[in-house]
Amino acid sequence: MGFLTPALLGGVALVALPIILHLIKRRQPKKLDFPALQFVRKRQAANRRRLNFRHLLLLALRCAFIVGLALALARPTIKGSGLRGKEGAPLAVALVIDNSARMQYVYQNSTRRQVASDMAQGLLLQLPESAEIGVLDLSRSSAGFVVDASTAEARVQNLVAENNPRPLEDAVREAIQLVADRKESRQEVFLFSDLNADSFTESAIENINEALSEAPDVRIYLVDVGVEEVKNLSLLPLEMRATSLRLGEPLHIEAPVAANGMADNPLVELFLQDADGKPIKRGQRVAELTEEGIGRVSFELADLPLGTHQGSVRLTTSDPLQIDDTRYFTVEVRPAAQILLLGEDASDALFLREALSPSLIADHASNQFDCLTERYAKANNVAFDDFDAICLLDPPPLSDELWQKIVDFADQGGSVGLFLGHLARANELNRSAAQRLLPGVLKRKSRLTTYFRPRQFDHPALRGFRDFSAEIPWQIYPVFEYWEFADLAGDTYVIAPFANHHPALLERPVGRGRALTFATAISDPLEPVGREPWNLLPTGPEPWPFVALMNQIVGYMAQSENRPLEYLAGETVSISLPPRQRVSSFVLRPPIGQPLRRSLPPGEETIRISTTGELGNYRVASGGEDRRLDRGFSINLAPELSRLMRVDPVALVGALPSDQVKLARTLDDVERYVDIGRTGRGLFPWAISLVAIVWGTEYVLANRFYRESP
Amino acid sequence: MPTVEKYLKPEVIRHISRLDLRAQFIVKGFLQGLHASPFHGFSVEFSEHRKYTHGDNPDDIDWLVYAKTDKYYVKKYEAETNLTGYLVMDLSASMAYTHDQELSKFDYSICLAAALCYLMIHQNDPVGLITFGEKIENSLAPKSKRQQIGNILSLLANLRPRNKTNIGQSLNQVAAMLKHSSLVMLFSDLLTDSDEVIASLRRLRHGGHDVILFHILDQAEVKFPFDGLVELRDPETGETLEIDADAYRSEYLEEISGFRSLYETECRQSGIDYVPLDTSMQFDRALTEYLINRRNRG
Repeated sequence: MGFLTPALLGGVALVALPIILHLIKRRQPKKLDFPALQFVRKRQAANRRRLNFRHLLLLALRCAFIVGLALALARPTIKGSGLRGKEGAPLAVALVIDNSARMQYVYQNSTRRQVASDMAQGLLLQLPESAEIGVLDLSRSSAGFVVDASTAEARVQNLVAENNPRPLEDAVREAIQLVADRKESRQEVFLFSDLNADSFTESAIENINEALSEAPDVRIYLVDVGVEEVKNLSLLPLEMRATSLRLGEPLHIEAPVAANGMADNPLVELFLQDADGKPIKRGQRVAELTEEGIGRVSFELADLPLGTHQGSVRLTTSDPLQIDDTRYFTVEVRPAAQILLLGEDASDALFLREALSPSLIADHASNQFDCLTERYAKANNVAFDDFDAICLLDPPPLSDELWQKIVDFADQGGSVGLFLGHLARANELNRSAAQRLLPGVLKRKSRLTTYFRPRQFDHPALRGFRDFSAEIPWQIYPVFEYWEFADLAGDTYVIAPFANHHPALLERPVGRGRALTFATAISDPLEPVGREPWNLLPTGPEPWPFVALMNQIVGYMAQSENRPLEYLAGETVSISLPPRQRVSSFVLRPPIGQPLRRSLPPGEETIRISTTGELGNYRVASGGEDRRLDRGFSINLAPELSRLMRVDPVALVGALPSDQVKLARTLDDVERYVDIGRTGRGLFPWAISLVAIVWGTEYVLANRFYRESP
Repeated sequence: MPTVEKYLKPEVIRHISRLDLRAQFIVKGFLQGLHASPFHGFSVEFSEHRKYTHGDNPDDIDWLVYAKTDKYYVKKYEAETNLTGYLVMDLSASMAYTHDQELSKFDYSICLAAALCYLMIHQNDPVGLITFGEKIENSLAPKSKRQQIGNILSLLANLRPRNKTNIGQSLNQVAAMLKHSSLVMLFSDLLTDSDEVIASLRRLRHGGHDVILFHILDQAEVKFPFDGLVELRDPETGETLEIDADAYRSEYLEEISGFRSLYETECRQSGIDYVPLDTSMQFDRALTEYLINRRNRG
């Protein structure tokens, strides 16, 4: 309890006035003759008591009137979050506004973000001019106090939906720290949120609690702008068999649909952008929803020409949250990679060729690889520039000239694969130009039986195994013999080891290209003449791991592995340039806005793009009309931003310190908190009403009491 | 309403200053009203003439008839039995009280007494007057002559209430004074010790007299129309009381009603006609009471 104008409390002293008047100037009753006084006299005693009571009642009412009036004029207030000892102190306020894409949910013709923004602006009007104001949202940039209230208002007004929001707890903790630094100020944080369950996980609440415990003077007003009963229809991330297609291979897209509170089966449409980027509708399906509200449609597009193709899948049914109704995709159709397989004998290349381009299905499907097999003896006659990669199967001692030619090929950006076997001679390889390609000095042939055992799958050559790495039975394909290296070159990277930790697959950059070395042969038949096979990788039972491994290794070498072309908003996109392509500048065409020209430092082989906040299809081009480089990628919304489950507000506030956190639903609540928190709740209306009642009662009683007799 | 009947209303009669006229108007108004009442045919006028015989009062000879016929005739009245009436007036100071500055209880009593006097003389009933305060102060012997009206009215007109009162003692004096059984008509507000009054009334009744008790109170004494804080003063004793009238009204009304009920009960038991009146009531009530009483005796 406090008073805004405590000086007026002195008026209470005037209460002496009616008491003095009561004592010295009692009102004289009207005097009347009345002969029948004897009947009056009989009940006189009781009447006198009543008379005295009325006199005292009137006196009490008049005293109460004066005291009440003085109290009311002193503007009494009740302190809610009043911080003791800081009355009259300046104010430090941080507004935290959840502007994640989820806040685009429309209810009663307003998005949650708009409601939050409006309420925040209403709140800003209430703040005193001297207040320090910080506006924080869920964009990645942190913010301090702004210059003045109008700047804060502009920031609140100009908030845009954030497709890549940081966790709400981060912004809250930042806000707490921001205001807590103003030790001499009252510290208030207003949090405008839809109370999404993902924003207030147990760990998030724990972190906020921890931050609050370190800043005991900070008060958080949690303004709930969410909707109790949410409805949503969302398109989950698209599932594509491959982002890199060979010519003639159909594009297959699966589009899962999730519905929450919407019963009608939605219509899903597929759009493909034409050369000008204009979407052309290429298909539509109705998604049959199950009782759980889950549906799935699939689209297949055949005959895509060579190049980068982009499009989108859209839900046509309207729902309150539209930002998750569209998913974008990018797919590349490439020609088959040209692979040169060199072997001592044509049969050496058999397993690899069958793994890369199986002859059985050659007539039915286009292959990712176009393999040419040649003997080492004739290798000098082959134009290496026509190929994307060269695989040396069990290389025997070769001429320095050939080694140099291979090294030159790698220097120019080509990839060379070395599959060492029984023909390799350590002294030969260790002294020749082959050392430029090999990962290190060959030490010896090891005869420790082991098996190929990749442990990490982040290298592009093994990334395809990542999702089912534990299920590959490498141990049933034993490796009996392999090459050990004495010293690995400094720039060598071990992609995968054998089970005994000796390097099995190694990579070494060579000029602008690279060389991959597999430490054991892949050309040994099951029973070679006069010797034991080095391993059973290609000849073991159902050798699908070998096929997959070779496809990935050679695909990586030929830069034709399935590169990720779909990213989430805010992720940094990496585009590897083709090895033999020189790009000094490129144009980035975002989904909205003008194309941006960027330059690439000399020697840089990867284009990295971090301005990916906007959802949609991006295009990267270089080389003018002939489009020497024409790539693309898609930015989609993180699926968790479609989850609209709310936390129970009461439970949430209950989990936070009750003296520091208050919950509000409306602007009135917010304003009330502002009043309570800052100057206390004004009791003037109540006090003056009470005074009016006292005054009215006194008037009625006094009139009745001292009424002039007729 | 016929013009003369309005004179039965106190608020009308108070505009007439002469007491004789007041009495006349009241009685005329009353008689007019009787024609439409259950008392129709109850003539108080003479009914016929008969020849004068020896022993008749020569005063009753109708000289007008003698002038026409040269024979003596006397008036014959329907009510042959004459009733000696005494108008007994309370002169206590409390009788002078009026709250609304119209007729005081005393004025009302005098009007009523004068009207009764007028009516009785008209009936050839002898009527006398006794006034008392603490004791009997004036008395006129009952006579039925017309001039008795003048005597009584002039005495009444000059009466002023001024004294403390002692009704009981005064009535005892009256009882002792009256030799023959008479009709005693007492006009008083009875604002004194009721036991004493009741005892003396009984005594009067036991003396063979018929008693009509006109209990006259001021309208304010019956209705207690005061509001707010008032200081009341008893005009007889000078005693004052400060009270909250609003809160007190219902209790007062209970008291006054109990007071009247007490007299009503006692009077009924003693065969006394008790006529509760207040100064706002019409005079015919009292006159009717007298006539009923007279008929019963007749």
